[in-house]
Amino acid sequence: MCDNCGCNVTDGNRHLVEADHRTIEVLEDLLHENDRQADHNRAHFDAMGLLAINVMSGPGSGKTSLLEATIKALPDRVRLAVIEGDLETENDAERIRRHGVPAVQITTGMACHLDAHMVHDALHELDLAKVDILFIENVGNLVCPASFDIGQHCNVLLLSVTEGDDKPAKYPVMVRAADQMLITKTDLLPYIEEFSVRRARDAVREIRSDLPVTELSAKTGQGMGPWLAWLQAMVAERQAKFRRHAQGYSYAPHR
Amino acid sequence: MHETAIVEGLMRILEAQAARHRVARISSVIVKVGRLRAVEPAQLVACFEMFAEGTVAEGAQLKIEAVSVRARCKACATEFEVPRFRFECPGCGGGDVDVVQGQELYIESFEAAERLPSGGVPK
Repeated sequence: MCDNCGCNVTDGNRHLVEADHRTIEVLEDLLHENDRQADHNRAHFDAMGLLAINVMSGPGSGKTSLLEATIKALPDRVRLAVIEGDLETENDAERIRRHGVPAVQITTGMACHLDAHMVHDALHELDLAKVDILFIENVGNLVCPASFDIGQHCNVLLLSVTEGDDKPAKYPVMVRAADQMLITKTDLLPYIEEFSVRRARDAVREIRSDLPVTELSAKTGQGMGPWLAWLQAMVAERQAKFRRHAQGYSYAPHR
Repeated sequence: MHETAIVEGLMRILEAQAARHRVARISSVIVKVGRLRAVEPAQLVACFEMFAEGTVAEGAQLKIEAVSVRARCKACATEFEVPRFRFECPGCGGGDVDVVQGQELYIESFEAAERLPSGGVPK
């Protein structure tokens, strides 16, 4: 007879042992700890006036190439930093550092997504006071990253023309989470007749009609203009909010 | 496999709640999962069985209640169930909508099977 498997419960004592069968209501979010940490990360970003962008896509859609092209194309006054997420290797962070931009590599081991705690640890290696845009390149995966708030202000989703134009329909949750969608590697379109930009756009519209979709090639630079303009508009908006906030503080009575 | 991270959160909550309510054994757990959360129920159950081993929830049944996606049209205020992620308003055909249901991911309740003897220490 033991207390572990229930063999101590007999018809005679069952009413004593199981008298307290009850339902306990909880109503607590399962990702509560992550969400709390994400809010904390966002508070850091807001206090510094920087824009944090979560960059998501399947593996090999060209996230790092896009960031490299973006670093080259943005004016120098826009100060950048990058957090790279991969299961293994320091490769992507090294690619970014070659352009003179600070980069922190997170290697997740087995985890298929970044979470708010991982990003928070990486933040300690960056001087956020010197950053206008922090790109957080998530692990290449079209499912899991959408479930984890990491403190970002917006989500950018990449779809390369080599992946098939029905990808948005196959991964609708990711499309719903996006604030900007980029169809990448458009320089390859002449060789991939199966990919129709119109079909890809239609698939996106069914899931999220107001999602801006931009076609570009990080390799040739074609179509980079609207993406860069969107980024700069987002930075301007964030910095305007930051200045209003800072002013609010300075007008507060000092005690 | 983000299910493991979700189950870690679930176990943290269950162990804290069991200690607070002086529960020695949990027999079942009800979790609400919105269809917009991309959570695979079978994987969630498999992870839970693994993580629950050696805890107050060992052997407990995890009941997953799926929550359908509902949206409200910003243009005409029609509220509708979203079939297969087609976010198109059946009232006016508009696609600019607010999601009002389907993002849930929370533990609703659990069944406590035994109470710790008074003075006992939670496992």
